[in-house]
Amino acid sequence: MINTEYFTLGHISLLLGFILIIVGFWGILTQKNIVKIILAFSIADAGINILIVSLGYVIGKTAPIIDGSVVQKAGIDVSDSIVDPVPQALVLTSIVIGFGVTALMLAYAMKLFTAKKTLHINKFNDLKW
Amino acid sequence: MVTPIFIVATALGVGFAIGVLNKFGRNFTGALVLAALSFMTFISFQWFYALTFNNLSEAYVFTGGFKPPFAINLLMGQYESIATLMINLIGFLGAVYLYKSLKERGSDAQVVYLILIMALNVLVMTRDIFNLFVFSEITSVAIAGLILLEKGTRSISAGFKYIIATSVISTIFLIGIVFAYFITGTLNIDDFIGISLSTYKGGTIVVFLIMISAVLELKPFPANGWGIDIYEASEAGFSAIISAATTTASLFVLYKIMAFAGAEWNYYIALIGMITFIGSNLLGLKQDNTRRMLGYSSIGQVGLLITILGFKDILGENAPFIFFGILISHYFAKAGLFWLSGIINASNLKAWSIIRKKPILLFLMGTFIFALIGFPPFPSFFAKWTLVMDLVKTGNIVWVIGILLGSLFEAIYLFRWFGYAIKGDAEKTEEYKIEFHKIIPVWIVALSLYVLGYFIAQYNEFTSVINFIPLAFVALIFAIDFMPVLIKNTIAIIGMIFYFYTIYPQLDNLRLIFEVIFLIGGILALIAGYLHKGKRIGFYPVALLMYAGLTGILEAKTTLEFFYGWELMTAGSYFLIIRGKRSMTHALSYMLFSLAGAYAILTAFGIASVGQSTWSLSIINNIQYIPLWAYSLLIIGFLTKTASIGLHIWLPGAHAEAESDVSPMVSAILLKAGVFGIVLTLIGMGAENNQYSELVYVLGWLGAITALIGNLAAVFQEDAKRLLAYSSIGQLGYIVFGFAMMTHLGWLAAFTYTINHFMYKSILFLTIGAVVLRVKTHNMYEMGGLIKKMPFAFIAVLISIIALSGVPPLSGFAGKWLLYNAVILKGWYLQGAIAFFSGIIAFLYLFKLISSIFLGQLKDNHRNVKEISIWFIIPIYILIVGLMIFAAKPELILQPLGTMISQYFPEGGLNWNGGMATTSIGYWHGTHIMIIVGIMFAILFSWLAFLSRKAQKVKQFNIVYSGERPFTPETTHVSYNIFAGYNKALGFLVLPWITDFWTLTTNIVHDISGFVRRIYSGNGQTYLTHIVLYVVVIYFVFFN
Repeated sequence: MINTEYFTLGHISLLLGFILIIVGFWGILTQKNIVKIILAFSIADAGINILIVSLGYVIGKTAPIIDGSVVQKAGIDVSDSIVDPVPQALVLTSIVIGFGVTALMLAYAMKLFTAKKTLHINKFNDLKW
Repeated sequence: MVTPIFIVATALGVGFAIGVLNKFGRNFTGALVLAALSFMTFISFQWFYALTFNNLSEAYVFTGGFKPPFAINLLMGQYESIATLMINLIGFLGAVYLYKSLKERGSDAQVVYLILIMALNVLVMTRDIFNLFVFSEITSVAIAGLILLEKGTRSISAGFKYIIATSVISTIFLIGIVFAYFITGTLNIDDFIGISLSTYKGGTIVVFLIMISAVLELKPFPANGWGIDIYEASEAGFSAIISAATTTASLFVLYKIMAFAGAEWNYYIALIGMITFIGSNLLGLKQDNTRRMLGYSSIGQVGLLITILGFKDILGENAPFIFFGILISHYFAKAGLFWLSGIINASNLKAWSIIRKKPILLFLMGTFIFALIGFPPFPSFFAKWTLVMDLVKTGNIVWVIGILLGSLFEAIYLFRWFGYAIKGDAEKTEEYKIEFHKIIPVWIVALSLYVLGYFIAQYNEFTSVINFIPLAFVALIFAIDFMPVLIKNTIAIIGMIFYFYTIYPQLDNLRLIFEVIFLIGGILALIAGYLHKGKRIGFYPVALLMYAGLTGILEAKTTLEFFYGWELMTAGSYFLIIRGKRSMTHALSYMLFSLAGAYAILTAFGIASVGQSTWSLSIINNIQYIPLWAYSLLIIGFLTKTASIGLHIWLPGAHAEAESDVSPMVSAILLKAGVFGIVLTLIGMGAENNQYSELVYVLGWLGAITALIGNLAAVFQEDAKRLLAYSSIGQLGYIVFGFAMMTHLGWLAAFTYTINHFMYKSILFLTIGAVVLRVKTHNMYEMGGLIKKMPFAFIAVLISIIALSGVPPLSGFAGKWLLYNAVILKGWYLQGAIAFFSGIIAFLYLFKLISSIFLGQLKDNHRNVKEISIWFIIPIYILIVGLMIFAAKPELILQPLGTMISQYFPEGGLNWNGGMATTSIGYWHGTHIMIIVGIMFAILFSWLAFLSRKAQKVKQFNIVYSGERPFTPETTHVSYNIFAGYNKALGFLVLPWITDFWTLTTNIVHDISGFVRRIYSGNGQTYLTHIVLYVVVIYFVFFN
C-alpha cells in the first residue's frame, strides 16, 4: 500500500519543482540550440519558484493577504491561519530576476545570430585555451 | 557621517535621474555618474577613516523600518569600509577611464555601470543572504549588459558564456538559500552565525550549496572558462573593473559565508584556492594573448586570496594584514595592467615592444608587474612575507611550497612579457595614442601602490623597521631622470659617498668589507658612466636601486630587512642586465633563478623563525626546527647569486651582453651579495660545529667543480666578455670552496679571493668593456695588435691577469698560497687537486685574452681607434693602485681579516711577524716577493731586450698566404679556436648539459600547460558541464 499521506499538495509541488529543475539542467547541458538552452533556464527557474512557494506552504492555511483594517475590526489574530509570507515575497523577486536574465539572454541570442547566422552553441567557440 | 545607505541611494537616485535628464546630453549624464561615484567613494572613505583611526565602532543600517529578520540590514564595519572604498575608488577611476566609451554607448550604459558599482557595494555590506543572491544577479546582469552594449562580435559570445554560467551558479545559490530559510526560518547571516546552520538537519547540504556557489563566483580552476573569456574579450576598462572590483566583492561574499559555514570548510577552501592559484598560473605560461594571460593571472591571484581566507583562523590576527596586503596589490596592479592593455593596442605579448616608445609607460608596467610578484616596496611584499612566515611557523610548509611554486609560474610569464616590452623586436606593431583620461587612472593606481607600500609597512611592528631612505634617494633620481647624465651621475656618486660615510661606522668588519665592495666599487663603476652623453633614461634609478638593495642586505638587523634588501637588489640588477643588447632571455633567466633562490631563502627564514620570539637576523645562528633543511635552502638560495654550477646558466649571457660599465656592477659587485649570504649561513651553522659537515663537504665539492667547469668553459670562448663571465663563475667557485673548508685559513683565502676578484674583475670588465666600445665587437679574433693603440688598457689587463692567475708578485698569489695551505691542512686533497688544475686552466684563457686582443696584427679597420676613454681609465687605475697596495702590503688587509675570522675560527690563523706570514707548513712575505720578482723581471727584461736588439718587426704584409686568399680572414687569426686540442680532450666537460637540463624542464612545464589548457574548449556548454562536475567533485571530496 502506498501511504497516501505523502500525496499532499505541498509534497507534490515540491517534487514537481525538483523535476523541473532537473529537466531544466538537463536541457541546459544537452541542448545545442541557444534558444532551447534559454528555455531550459526558464524551466529550471520555474522549478525553483515552485520549490520556494511549496516550502513556505503550510497545510490548511491560506494566502498571506491581510487587510489591516479588517483584522483590526474583527479583533482576531490571523497570523495562525496564513502560510509563511516570506517565501512568497522571495518568489516575486526571483520571478522578476528570472525575467530580466531571460530577456538579457534572448538579447544575446539575437546578437549571436546576427553575428554568425546560426544559433548552434558549438559554433561560438572562438575564444579558447 | 553620511550613512552608508546613501551609497545605494546615490547610485539609484542618479540612475533614475539620468533616465529623465538624458536630454541634457551625454556629457552631462557622464558628469553626474562621476559625481555620484565620487560621493560614494567619499562615504566609504569617511567610514574607513573613522573606523580605522577614530576607533568608531561598526554600524548597522536597517532598511524598511523593521529590524532583521523582517527586513534587510547592512553592516559597515572596518573590513566593509575598506572593501567598499576599494570598489568605489576603482569604480570612479574606471569611469574616468571609460568616460568616452560609456558616452558612445549612451546614457543607458552609464546607468548600468553605476548600478554595477552599487551592486558590488551591497554585496559587501548586506547581511541578508537572499539580498546577496539578488545583488549577485544584478552584478551579473549589469556586467553582461555592459558587454552586450559593446561594439564588435568578439565580446558577445564571451558575454553569453558569462551570463549562462552565472545563471547556473545562482540557481544553485538560490536553492541553498531557500532551504536555509526552510530549516532555520531566517535569512540573516548574523542569525546563521548565531545558530550555527550546519547543526540543523540537512544543514551541511545547505551550507555546501551556498558555499559552492560563492566559490564558483570566484572562478575556481578548472571550472572557470567562462571567466577567462570575459577578461580576454570585453573592453579593457571592464576587465579592470571585473578583476579589481568584482573580485573584491566576491571575495567578501565568500568571507561572509565562511563566517557561518563552520571551520570544517577552511581546509577545503584553502585547497580550492591553492589548486586555482597553481593551475591558473601554470596555464598562463602558454599564453601569447595579453588579455587572456592577465585573466589567468587574475584568477590565480584570487586563488591565493581564497587560500588565505581558508587559513584565516590559523593566521589569526595577521590574517587581515596578509589578505588586504595581497588583495590591494592585485587590485591596483591588475586594474593598471588591464588599463594599459587598453591603451597599448597590442593583443600579442610580443607586440608589446611598442610600449617602449614611451619609456614612462614601461615604468608603469614594471610597477604593476613587480607589485603582482610581491617585490618591495609594494604591499604584497610585506603580506607575502608575513604569510610565508606564519604558514611555516604553524607547520604548513607544503602550502608554502605551493604558494611559491604558483608565484614562480606567474613570474615566468609576467617577466617574459615585460622582457618583450623592454627588449623585444616585434616586426609588426600598431600605433597607439595616449588619451589623457585613460592614462590618469593608471598613474593614480601606480603611485598608490608605492604610497600604500610605505604605509602598510608602518602597520606591523616588524615591518616598520624598514629603512626607506635609500629608496627615497632612488625615487629622487627617478624624478630627475629627464636631466643629462652629467648631473645625474654626479648626484648619484655624491649620494653614494655620503651614504657610505654615514653608514660605515655602524657596520662590523665583516660587513664593512662587503660595503666597500658594494658602494666604493659602485662609485668607481659609476665614474665610467660619465662617458655617456645624453640622458641615459632609466639607468640611474635602477643602478641605485641595486645599490640600495645591496647596502640594505648589509644593514639588515632582521630577516625581513635582509629579504627586503635582497629583493630590491634583484629588481635593480634585473633592470641593469636587461639594458644590454640581446639580453632579453638572459635577464629572464636571471630573474627566475633569483626568484627561485629568494623563495628558498624566504622559506629558510620561515623555518628559522620557528620557536623564536624575535625577527633578528641572528635567528639563523640557532635554528631549532629541521636546521639541515633550513641551511640547505639558504645555501641553495645564495648559490643562485654566486652562479655555482647548475645554477649558473643565467650568468654568461647576462654579464657578456650587459653594457660596458654595467658588467663590473653585475659581476664584480653583485655576485658578492651571494658570497655574503653564504658567509652568514656558514657563520649561522656554527664554525666549530661539525653537525653539518656533510653539507659543507658537498658545498666544497660544488665549489671545486664550479671552479673547474667555469675556467674550462672560459677557455673555449671567442667572445671576450663571455670569457670573463665564465671566469667569474670559476673564481666564485674558488670562493665557495674556500668558505666550505670551514677553517681559519680557508676563510682567509676565500676573503682574499673575494676582495681580489672584486678588484681584478672590475678592472678587466671595465677595460674590455671600454675596448669593446672602441672596436665595436666582442669577438677576440676580430681584434688584435691593440697594444700600441691602447697602452693603458694593455697595462691594466696585464696587471689584472697576473693578479688573477695567482702568480707572484701580485695579490692573486696571496689567495692561492692561503688556499693551498688551507687545503693541505684540511686534508681535502682531491678537491684541492681539482682547484689547482683549474688554476692552470686559467692561464690558458688569460693568455688568450691578452694575446689575441693586444698582441699580433692590428686589424685594418682598427687603424684609427683611440685609447679607451678617460672615464674608464680613472676607475681602472684607482683599482690598480688598490691591487698594488694589496700585493705589496698584504698584511694591511689580511691582519684585520684574520682578527675578524678569529671570532669564528680562533685556531689555525696566520702568525704575523712584520710582513711575514707563517702557517704550520710554510711562510710568505708579500713585500719581499714583490721586490724579488721585480728584480727578476727587470733582469730578464733587459736581457731579452739586449738579445733582440737586432730583431726585425713583423709588418702586416710579411704574412704570406701561399697564393691563396682566405675567404674568412678572421678564422686565420692565431687565437681563433686556439685551444682546439684542449677542446678535444676536455670539451665534453663543458658541453651544455646543464643548459639542456633546464631547457628540458622548461619545455616539460610548458607542454603540461599547453595540454591542460585544452579543457577550455571555448564552448559555453562545456563550461557549464565543468561547473556541474566541479560541484559534484567538491561534494564527494567534502562528504568523502
